[in-house]
Amino acid sequence: MLTKFETKSNRVKGLTFHPKRPWILASLHSGVIQLWDYRMGTLIDRFDEHEGPVRGVHFHNSQPLFVSGGDDYKIKVWNHKTHRCLFTLLGHLDYIRTVQFHHENPWIVSASDDQTIRIWNWQSRTCISVLTGHNHYVMCASFHPKEDLVVSASLDQTVRVWDIGSLKKKTVSPADDLMRFTQMNSDLFGGVDAIVKYVLEGHDRGVNWASFHPTLPLIVSGADDRQVKLWRMNETKAWEVDTLRGHMNNVSSVMFHAKQDIIVSNSEDKSIRVWDATKRTGIQTFRREHDRFWILAVHPEINLLAAGHDNGMIVFKLERERPAFAVSGDSLFYAKDRFLRYYEYSTQKDAQVIPIRRPGTPSLNQSPRTLSYSPTENAVLICSDVDGGSYELYIIPKDSVGRSDVVQDAKRGTGGSAVFIARNRFAVLEKSTSQVLVKNLKNEVVKKSSLPIPTDAIFYAGTGNLLCRSEDKVVIFDLQQRLVLGELQTPFVRYVVWSNDMENVALLSKHTIIIASKKLVLQCTLHETIRVKSGAWDDNGVFIYTTLNHIKYCLPNGDSGIIRTLDVPIYITKVSGNTIFCLDRDGKNRAITINATEYIFKLALLRKRYDHVMSMIKNSQLCGQAMIAYLQQKGFPEVALHFVEDERVRFNLALESGNISVAVASATEINEKEQWYRLGVEALRQGNAGIVEFAYQQTKNFERLSFLYLITGKLDKLSKLMKIAEVKNNVMGQFHNALYLGDVKERVKILENAGHLPLAYITASVHGLTDTAERLATELGDNVPSLPEGKTPSLLMPPSPVMCGGDWPLLRVMKGIFEGGLESAARGGAVDEDEEDVGGDWGEGLDMVDVDGMENRDIEAILAEAEGAEEDNDEEGGWGELEGLDLPPELDTPKASANARSSVFVTPTQGMPVSHIWSQKSSLAAEQAAAGSFDTAMRLLNRQLGIKNFAPLKSMFIDLFSGSQSYLRAFSSSPVVPLAIERGWSESNSPNVRGPPALVYDFSQQEEKLKSGYKATTSGKLTEALRLFLSILHTIPLVVVESRSEVDEVKELVIIVKEYVLGLKMELKRRETKDDPVRQQELAAYFTHCNLQLPHLRLALFSAMGVCYKSKNLATAYNFAKRLLETNPVESQAKTARQIVQAAERNMTDTTELNYDFRNPFVICGSTYVPIYRGQKDVSCPYCTARFVPSQEGNICGVCDLAVIGADASGLICSPSQVR
Amino acid sequence: MAGMGSGPDHLFNLRNTFYLGAYQTAINNSEIPNLSPEDAVERDCLVFRSYIALGSYQLVISEIDEAAATPLQAVKLLAMYLSSPDNKESTISSVKEWLADSTIGNNAILRLIAGTIFMHEEDYNEALKHTHAGGTMDLHALNVQIFIKMHRSDYAEKQLRVMQQYDEDHTLTQLATAWLNLAVGGSKIQEAYLIFQDFSERYPMTCLVLNSKAVCCMQMGNFDEAESLLLEALNKDAKDPETLANLVVCSLHVGKSSSRYLSQLKLSHPEHVLVKRVSSAEDNFERALQSIA
Repeated sequence: MLTKFETKSNRVKGLTFHPKRPWILASLHSGVIQLWDYRMGTLIDRFDEHEGPVRGVHFHNSQPLFVSGGDDYKIKVWNHKTHRCLFTLLGHLDYIRTVQFHHENPWIVSASDDQTIRIWNWQSRTCISVLTGHNHYVMCASFHPKEDLVVSASLDQTVRVWDIGSLKKKTVSPADDLMRFTQMNSDLFGGVDAIVKYVLEGHDRGVNWASFHPTLPLIVSGADDRQVKLWRMNETKAWEVDTLRGHMNNVSSVMFHAKQDIIVSNSEDKSIRVWDATKRTGIQTFRREHDRFWILAVHPEINLLAAGHDNGMIVFKLERERPAFAVSGDSLFYAKDRFLRYYEYSTQKDAQVIPIRRPGTPSLNQSPRTLSYSPTENAVLICSDVDGGSYELYIIPKDSVGRSDVVQDAKRGTGGSAVFIARNRFAVLEKSTSQVLVKNLKNEVVKKSSLPIPTDAIFYAGTGNLLCRSEDKVVIFDLQQRLVLGELQTPFVRYVVWSNDMENVALLSKHTIIIASKKLVLQCTLHETIRVKSGAWDDNGVFIYTTLNHIKYCLPNGDSGIIRTLDVPIYITKVSGNTIFCLDRDGKNRAITINATEYIFKLALLRKRYDHVMSMIKNSQLCGQAMIAYLQQKGFPEVALHFVEDERVRFNLALESGNISVAVASATEINEKEQWYRLGVEALRQGNAGIVEFAYQQTKNFERLSFLYLITGKLDKLSKLMKIAEVKNNVMGQFHNALYLGDVKERVKILENAGHLPLAYITASVHGLTDTAERLATELGDNVPSLPEGKTPSLLMPPSPVMCGGDWPLLRVMKGIFEGGLESAARGGAVDEDEEDVGGDWGEGLDMVDVDGMENRDIEAILAEAEGAEEDNDEEGGWGELEGLDLPPELDTPKASANARSSVFVTPTQGMPVSHIWSQKSSLAAEQAAAGSFDTAMRLLNRQLGIKNFAPLKSMFIDLFSGSQSYLRAFSSSPVVPLAIERGWSESNSPNVRGPPALVYDFSQQEEKLKSGYKATTSGKLTEALRLFLSILHTIPLVVVESRSEVDEVKELVIIVKEYVLGLKMELKRRETKDDPVRQQELAAYFTHCNLQLPHLRLALFSAMGVCYKSKNLATAYNFAKRLLETNPVESQAKTARQIVQAAERNMTDTTELNYDFRNPFVICGSTYVPIYRGQKDVSCPYCTARFVPSQEGNICGVCDLAVIGADASGLICSPSQVR
Repeated sequence: MAGMGSGPDHLFNLRNTFYLGAYQTAINNSEIPNLSPEDAVERDCLVFRSYIALGSYQLVISEIDEAAATPLQAVKLLAMYLSSPDNKESTISSVKEWLADSTIGNNAILRLIAGTIFMHEEDYNEALKHTHAGGTMDLHALNVQIFIKMHRSDYAEKQLRVMQQYDEDHTLTQLATAWLNLAVGGSKIQEAYLIFQDFSERYPMTCLVLNSKAVCCMQMGNFDEAESLLLEALNKDAKDPETLANLVVCSLHVGKSSSRYLSQLKLSHPEHVLVKRVSSAEDNFERALQSIA
C-alpha cells in the first residue's frame, strides 16, 4: 500500500472522491464535512451545518455539487464553489446512512435507519420514490453505474437489488415529476416505481455494505458475520458465488477496484484487505494499530482509494504506477504488463521484447520496480518486491522483437536492488549485511564487498562505481579501490538520474531535487511542494523534471521554472532538444514538445554565452515582466534594458546597469527632478563629470553645481553661477561662490550689500583692501570691530583640480556587449566574457580548497567507519556466508604452494604455431608464402603455372609473410606477442579453430590497379602503365579468391593484362627503335592487334596510321585510318584519319614492305614481336598464355617474366574452392 | 595483493596506469602519502619498472643501490639485462644465483623478473620453473603470456582461471583475458576488443591500449579502423616499436606503402621481431630459391 495522503480528525464515516480534481470529501462523526486537496495536502474547505454525525457524502460527477446525509435525518445538497448548502431534503425518519447521486438523472438515492431507501429528484427537490421492504436499518444503497438498478444492504441480513426501470420511464421530463408529486402520498409505502428484483440471503448477521461491479453483473457485500460475499446475477435470478473469509470483525465496507480485478474491503478489525476477485483469495492485508475502519471509497477515474477510520482517513494506492524503465542511447527498455518492451526514440518505434511474467500470475506489487540494462550484453536486470526484494536477469535474444510468449527462465536472486556496473558485471545489494555481491551474467558471485554505509538501495554511478543510499545520505563507492569517492547528506533519495556525460547527477527525493557533481559535490538544491516524479538531463546540462502536475527545469545554478503544466503525472525518460520523451501511467510512450526558449536563454546568460543571448533576444518573443524581473535580479539589467519600452523602467534598468547614455535619454524623456537627481548620483559614481553637470543643471541644484565647478576647476562657470545667484538674489549662494573663487572684493561687496558691515570691514581689512576697509570704517563709525591679534591672515584660493575639463578616469562598468545595441554584439561580448571568467576562476579556486578539505575529512571518517564495520563483521563471523559460497582460495594458498614450486611442475611441451597449421593445411601458394613456407609456395607456383623466375615475386612473398602477424604488447618489458592474423573473421567463428592467413593482396586491389593502368595508358604514361600491368601479372599468382566465379574473373584478368603488357612493351620498343622505320611501322601495326580497350585501340591505330603515313606507306596507313574511323573517334582524330584516307585514295601504294598482313589473322610472339600467322607453330606461356615462336621454348616468358615458355603446368589455383 | 574488503588500496591507480602502459603518468603520480613500507617498495618497483619500460635503463641501474630491497635489486637486474646485450650472460648468472638463495629466491618480484628475462631468452622451461606457481597477479599474468607464446592456450587458460577466481575485475585479469582471447581467436576476439574498449573509456588512452585495440581490429579484418587507431598511437609516441610494427602490417593490408614505417622501426629498434622476421624472410627466400632450382 502506498499512502498518498493522511488526515487526522474525528471519526470519518463518509468519503467521496471528486471525479476530476484532486479533492476528497470526508464527512465526520462530529458533523463536519471536510474538503481536502489530497495532492497538495491541504484542507480547502469545511461545511458544518449538520447536527450530529454525517455518514453519507457524495460528489456529483459534473456539477459543482455534493450531497450529504446525517443523523439529523437531513439530506443536504451543497454547492462547493459557492460554499453554500443549496437545500435540504426532508423525509427520512431516522439516521441517514448513505447518499449517492445518479450518474445521469437528477436523482439521489439515500438509505436510512427508517428501513427505507428513498430516491429524490434534486432539481424538483422532491422524493420521487420510497423503496420499502427491508425490515431493519438500511445500511447502504447505491445506483448501478449503468443499469436501472439499486443495490442495498441492511441489518436484516439481506442484500436487495431493486429495479427502478419504471421510475426512469416515468420521469422523462421534470413536469412529470411535479405531476407525480400529488400521487406520491398515495404511493407511499406501496410504490410500484421500484420493485425488489432479488433478495440475496446468505449473510448470518446484518449486512453493512453492498456494491455493484462497474461492468460485470456482480455484487459484493460485507457484513457483521465478518464475511465478504460475492454474488452474481442474470436477468432472472441472483445467487451467491463465493465467500471471502478473513476479517476478524464486522466488515464495514467492500468494493470492486475500478481498474483491476480485485476486491477491497475494510473492517472494524482495523484492517484493509485486498482480494483477488477471480481466485477469491486474499492478496494483501494492511493493518492499523488502533483505528477501526468505517468506510472505503474508490476513485472513479484513477488508481486511488480512500479509507476512513476512527481518527481520520488515508488516501492510498495499492500499487506503484511508475513503469520501470532504463534508457540506453537511443533505446528505452521498459516493463509494461507482463512484457519487457523496447522503444526507439529516433523512430518512435515501440515493440514487445520478451515476456517477463507468466499470464495469470498475481500481479499486485509484483511488478518491476527498477530496470537496469547492459548494452554490451543486451541484458536486463529487473528488480521487484517479490519475496521481499529480488531480481531477475534476462538476456534479450538477438532476434529480440519476437512475439513469442515463452517466458525465459530468468536467472534470479534475492537482494534489495541490482544494477549493472560494468561489462558482464552487476551488483546486488544484500541489505542485511550492507554488502554488495558482484556477479557475472551467469549469476555467479565474483566478488563481495562491504559497503561504507548501511545501505538500503544501490544505483549505478559510472563503471565499477555504486551510489549507495541510506536514509539521510548517499555515497559513491568505488568497488575496485574500495574508496568512497564522494558523499552527500540528502533527504531520502528515490531516483538517481545521471547526466549524459556522467559528470552530474540529479538525486530526486519526494520533495527535493539535489544536483551534484560526479564526486557528489553539491551544486544546488531545489525544494518542491508537489511531489517530484521524474527527470532527465537535456544536452545542455539543464535538468528537466516533472512533479505531479508540472514539467519544470533546473539550471546548473539552481534556478528553476515551470515549462508547462500537466494533467496527469508522466515519467520523463529522455530529453532531446525540444522534445521530452516520457512514459505515462498506462506505460505508453509519449513525446511532448516543449518550448525550451526560456531556460535555454537563462542558461546562455548563466554561461555568459552572450552571442546566444543576443540572437535569442533578436529572434524570439521571450519578453514579459517575469523575464525582466529575472534579468534584473540575476544582475543582467543591461539585457533587460532591451526588452523594456516604459521610460521609467528603462531609466531604472539603465542606472542599474550603469548605462549612462540610455539613462540620460530616459531622464530627458521623463524630465523629473527625481530622475535627474539619481542620474547625477550615478554619473558622479562613474566619474562622468559632464553628465553630473548636466543633471545638476537640469535640477537647478546650484550648490552642488558650484561645488562641482570648484573641484573640476571650472572657475569661469563658477563665476557665472555667482552672477546667477546675484540675479536670483541668493546671497548665501553668491557668497559661497565668491568664497570658492577667492574673490575677496566680491565677498566684501556681498557682505556690504547684505548689511553685514562689520563682517565686510573685517574681510576687507584682513585681506588688505585698505581703501574699502577705510570706507567701511567710516561708515561704521564707532562700531569698528577689533581685528584678531597675532594671526597672519591668508586668502583661501580655489585648489587647482587634479583633472581639469572632461571626465575623471571612468569607473569600469558592465558595459560593452549590449552597449552598442543589438547589432555589434559579438566582439565586445568576447572581451567581456574573458574578463568575467577570470573573476569566476578566482572564486572557484577558493571554493575548491574548501570543498577538498571537507571531502578529505569526510572520507576519512567514512573509512574509519567502514573499517570499524568490517572488524565487527569479523568478530561475528559475518564472513561465514562467504566461505559457503565456494569462493576461490585466498591469497595465501598460492603463496604456500609457491614454496614447493620446482618439485611437481613439468613444463608443457610447446604447442604448434599457427603458421605451421597454415602451411600444413594449405595448397595455395599465397597462403604458404604468408605462413613463411616460401619453398612450398615456390614449388606450388612452379607446378601450377610453370613459374621459374621468382625474383619479381620476392617482395610479395616477404610482404605476405610480414602481413600475417600482428604484434601485441602484453606484459611490460616482456617480449612482444606475435599473433597470427586470420582471414575471413566473423563473430561466429569458434575460438581455437584456425582460419587461413590474412593476405595482403586481394583481387579488388588488382582491379583497382587495372583501372589505374588504363588511366595511365590513356594519358600516355606508358612506362607507368606497363609497371602497373606487370604488377598485376606478378601479384595474381599470390591472390586468393573465395568462389569459383571469382576464379574465372582472375583468369580473365590475366588475359586482359597480358594483352596490355605485350602491347605496351611493343610500343615502348617502337619508341626506342627510331632509326628503323620499318620495324617501327611493324611494331605500331602489331600494337593495333592487341586486345585493347576502345580508347586505347584508337590511340594505337592513330599512332600506327601516323607512323605509316610518314613513311609513305599510304595503303597501310589507309587501312589504319579506315579502322580508326570505324571506332567512331573524336573529331580531331577523325579529321586526320579522313585526310589520310583522301590522300591514300589518290595514291594507294606502300613504299616499304612490312611483315604485316592485316588480312591474315595472327598472334604476336611475346619475345620477338613477330606475327605468328594462323597455321604456324607456336608455344605459349603456361601462366599468362602469351604466344611465342617455337624457338623461344624453355625461355622465361617475355610478357609476364615469370613462367617458362612451353613448360608443363596444371593451371592457376587461386581459391580454396578449387582445392576442395 | 591486498585482501578483499580490507582498507583502501592506495596503489590501485598506480598499478593500473602501469599495466595499461601509461608509464610516464605512473612515474609522475607516484608520490602517494601514507604508504606502508611494503607498499612503498611495491610503489618503487612500479616506478622503476616504468622507467625500464620507457627505456631509461641507466637511470634505474644508477638509482638502485646496494642497500635497496630485494625486489628493487631484481628490477635493477632486469634493467641491466635489457641495457647491455653483451653482459646478458653475467646478468643471467646473477639471476640464477639469487634464485638459488633460499632467503630471497622466493621473492615474487625476483621470480617475475627472472621469468621475464628467461622469456627473452626464449627459455620457457627455465622461466616457468620460477613463475608457474604464481602468487601474485603479475606472475600469473606473465604465465599467461608465456603459455600464449608457447602456443599452449590450454595452460594459459588455467592460469587465467586462477586470476579470475582471485579477482576477475583486476586490470591484469582483464588484460590477460584479452590476450588469451586474441590468442585463441575466433569469436573471442570481439570480447578482447570490448575489454580494451572498456579500458579506453575508463582510463586515458595509452599507446598500449590503442595498439591492443588495433591488433583486435586487424584480427577481425578491420584494417581501416586499425590504421586510424595506430596513427593515433603514433601521435602519442612516434617511436613505439609495436605501433610501428603494426603500422607496417596494417599498411600492407590496406595497400599502402609500409616502407617508411619499416625503416623507422629498423632505425629505432633493430632488434624488433618484425625487423628480424623480415630479414630472416629474405634469407629464407634465397634459400628456397636454391632448394627449388
